[in-house]
Amino acid sequence: MLVLLRNSGEGFEPPSSADFVFKPIFGDSIFFTKPVFLVALSVILISTFFILSARKAAVVPSKMQFAGEAVYGFVRNTIGREVIGPEFMRFVPFLFTVFVFVLTNNIFGVVPLLQFPTMSRIGFPIGITLVSYVVYHWVAIGKHGFFKYMKDIMFMPGIPKPVYLILTPVEIATYFITRPLTLAMRLFANMFAGHLLLLIFTLGGEYLLTSGLLMKFLSLFSFSFAVGLSFFELGIQFLQAYIFTLLTALYIAGALADEH
Amino acid sequence: MAKADDGAFWSIIAYLISGLVFWGGAGAIADHFFHTHILFLVGMLVGMSAGLWLIWLRFIRQ
Repeated sequence: MLVLLRNSGEGFEPPSSADFVFKPIFGDSIFFTKPVFLVALSVILISTFFILSARKAAVVPSKMQFAGEAVYGFVRNTIGREVIGPEFMRFVPFLFTVFVFVLTNNIFGVVPLLQFPTMSRIGFPIGITLVSYVVYHWVAIGKHGFFKYMKDIMFMPGIPKPVYLILTPVEIATYFITRPLTLAMRLFANMFAGHLLLLIFTLGGEYLLTSGLLMKFLSLFSFSFAVGLSFFELGIQFLQAYIFTLLTALYIAGALADEH
Repeated sequence: MAKADDGAFWSIIAYLISGLVFWGGAGAIADHFFHTHILFLVGMLVGMSAGLWLIWLRFIRQ
């Protein structure tokens, strides 16, 4: 197909990382671009939804309350209680906020008209990761004290002393650099790749429409692929929000554990 | 069990990356100073084994 495209006169311009850079909607401040507005919109949507669903809380829930409680219950039971253990209630508000925020911003990727997953701009995953980074180290230091925490990380019991020279730097790098890095990168890369994939099929289909009759016919396949992949993306977007929250919970659980 | 497995999976990845990057990096820097070419490889192998050892200590021994 690519060969046909190349031979058909004007070149097809494949989507690239340039498609992720937006001009400011008004003015020329970088704070007024589409992703920033999407984040603001997500905050408004989330707060409206959960205030409405919790306002008239009743024993027999309305549909709205039921939906809100289903999401909350999912985070509290399957992520909070099962992963963190007895002290989980302290962290449920945090985990719940992270989950709902990431999920909403991811799903923007397949919402018609919005169609951009905010988390495909690396700044946003880094921001959330920094919060969760501070939280899990803070929890550990609060629980064990700074020196015992560092000692637990650096010196694993039951190995000969000279080996610490090799293992300790790796442990420190894992806890303080690789973990937050993979946390942010995974979310960013999944959203970036997913959006790029959708762009390829939609822009490709659009380009085929401008070509000859056979190409117009082929564009049908391209568009239907884009629609199918949108549903696939929806699954990935949910999964990434879940994994992000789950790993945050696991790191907190590790921080609370008596020995590392 | 799936959750613990997920956590273990990503921790394993994190250990392997840190081992490779830290000791591989140390080897590359040493190569640069001593004008050799072998230390980078040695560093990566050391890092890989350190990562694998930590994985064994954390996830298999228990």
